[in-house]
Amino acid sequence: MSSSRRLREEIAALVRQYYQEQFSGRTFNPDADLVHYAGRVFDAEELCNLVDSSLDFFLTANRYAERFEADFADYLGLSNALLVNSGSSANLVALTALTSAKLRDRRLQPGDEVLTVAAGFPTTLAPILQNNLVPVFVDVSLGDYTADPDQLREAIGPRTRAIMMAHTLGVPFDLDTVGELAKKHDLWVVEDNCDALGSRYRGKLTGTYGHLSTFSFYPAHHITMGEGGAVATNDDSLGRIARSFRDWGRDCYCAGGENNTCGTRFSQQFGTLPYGFDHKYVYSHIGYNLKVTDMQAAIGCAQLAKLDAFVAARRANFDRLSRVLEPFADRLLLPRGTPHSEPSWFGFAITVQPNAGFTRADLVRFLEAHRIETRSLFAGNLLRHPAFQGIPHRIVRDLANTDVVTNDTFFVGVYPGLDAARLDRMADVFSRFMRGERAGTAAGSGAA
Amino acid sequence: MPVTQKLSCVVDRVVSHGDGVYTLTLRPERPVPRFQAGQFLHLALDRYDPTGFWPESRVFSIASSPSRRDAVTITYAVHGPFTQRMERELTEGQPAWIKLPYGDFVIDGGADVALFAGGTGVTAFTAFLEALPADMPHRVTLAYGARTSDLLIYRDVVERSAARLASLQVMYFVEDAAGAMTAAMHPGRVSVEAVWPRLARPLETHFYISGPPPMLRSIGGDLRALGAPAEAIHIDAWE
Repeated sequence: MSSSRRLREEIAALVRQYYQEQFSGRTFNPDADLVHYAGRVFDAEELCNLVDSSLDFFLTANRYAERFEADFADYLGLSNALLVNSGSSANLVALTALTSAKLRDRRLQPGDEVLTVAAGFPTTLAPILQNNLVPVFVDVSLGDYTADPDQLREAIGPRTRAIMMAHTLGVPFDLDTVGELAKKHDLWVVEDNCDALGSRYRGKLTGTYGHLSTFSFYPAHHITMGEGGAVATNDDSLGRIARSFRDWGRDCYCAGGENNTCGTRFSQQFGTLPYGFDHKYVYSHIGYNLKVTDMQAAIGCAQLAKLDAFVAARRANFDRLSRVLEPFADRLLLPRGTPHSEPSWFGFAITVQPNAGFTRADLVRFLEAHRIETRSLFAGNLLRHPAFQGIPHRIVRDLANTDVVTNDTFFVGVYPGLDAARLDRMADVFSRFMRGERAGTAAGSGAA
Repeated sequence: MPVTQKLSCVVDRVVSHGDGVYTLTLRPERPVPRFQAGQFLHLALDRYDPTGFWPESRVFSIASSPSRRDAVTITYAVHGPFTQRMERELTEGQPAWIKLPYGDFVIDGGADVALFAGGTGVTAFTAFLEALPADMPHRVTLAYGARTSDLLIYRDVVERSAARLASLQVMYFVEDAAGAMTAAMHPGRVSVEAVWPRLARPLETHFYISGPPPMLRSIGGDLRALGAPAEAIHIDAWE
């Protein structure tokens, strides 16, 4: 064995020891610790991969990125998965890919309409606007918080060219209706699967239905690499276009440190460039640099191996919370999946009913005061935010339920880091509030 | 382009066809990634350290079917120092590194196609031929040439495909006609002149050319001279 190999093994052993010392065996103290809504769940494998990658000092995407992309594509059963530096970047790359001139008359053009919802995270909507496309908003159904399928049908207009929506908090939107509309009207479909890794619809993974799909690996998500995301597609042409937008817009698809993988680096004609101009520096798109480092991918490789267990834990935690809160369903609208779906839950969404006798603010303040972390259903109605006022858009009917989400909905966690003690704590705090206790809400309410 | 992967392999089988032409079957450590018929791989002889850079390599069309995930097949002719090293070093049981898949030379089966193959260039078409459905609605014409009839090394694959595909017509070309010839074999090099009259709709046909550089130039030029649109001519050219 080479000395460098031996040293790597010694370092790995020390890293495992460090993990035990620093992170392992922590117990939950209900009187002091927060019950987070999400967080990193990891063991020594993530740390070992991270250090191993750092010892390569390749820094940019290399062996771990290649392995993650291959394993992730295999998990999805798709031919293309490319890593980007966030789920938001994934959305930007995926939608922007559809504007490529390489798609000829199928490309999205400025002014074309994209069906979406206003109740969600801003970076599902932002790429639509950044590409000078026009969002058409449909309202969501309360309980599953996904687009109303009747309104989707109603929303189709002469300039509608695409549908881009998130599977909200892990709940698959109605993919039957979306598929039917896409086929009938020749629409592109981009699934924002950032919050739904592992969810299934009619037994098939979400993120495998659309022309393109996106994933987030931010720490709050189903798996993490710190900052990170991915774009997936089964269409090799779209995969190559997406890669180009990720990699500065270049036509060449060589990975970092590679040359002439196409075998025609100096023998092609592009635009009005001289024949044989270096393909490595030929640009077919106005692109970005949204790549990851190999260290991020190294963490992702260890996380991906745990994905099935994570999804199972999220479902089990969701089921447990459902049982706890079911007696209060007259005052709290509890979350539900859409027909034919098996959500891989991102969170446990609750809408305070109009007749509850208390407000969302009352309940959230109580939970936060008792160290149960909560989150709004992201932005609520995006159109009410300063950044999105005055944007070009169209609304189908009204966004009444979207406003209910803004005013009355929040969510708590179901992530795999919630053990029995933390779930018991959540159950206890919820039960006390629902029995009428309000003490402690004047105290500092923590982060919201 | 699908996700590319670098794989360590072992040479599983070497077939010598004579005249410096070999077919290698490589068995990789992990399943072969998804690829499309017509794509190629890079093959390296020096050990690849995954923590560093990819060593010197050459490109070869993947001759085996995309449905086969346990092995890949390539065919090469000894021409220069790299292929001389391949001849010396790639014996059965020896290691090699491959990365794949690459390339856009993917045949669109949505129109009539004419395939021009010279020598080992036929490997760009073998996977396509094997994957063609029996009810292929469009006409496929293969013009396959080699120096001698013995070097039509993928003739068995072609014959198998022709036997099950009514839409496939095959023309063989043999430069040295002194050897064993059959009625289907034309003496001389692959030529557009011989193929063009056999096409039902030549101006609506897509042409794919794979072979040595002089052949790529001459066939491409002859097709353009006959009025084939530039966008209908696809050339499998590497540096």
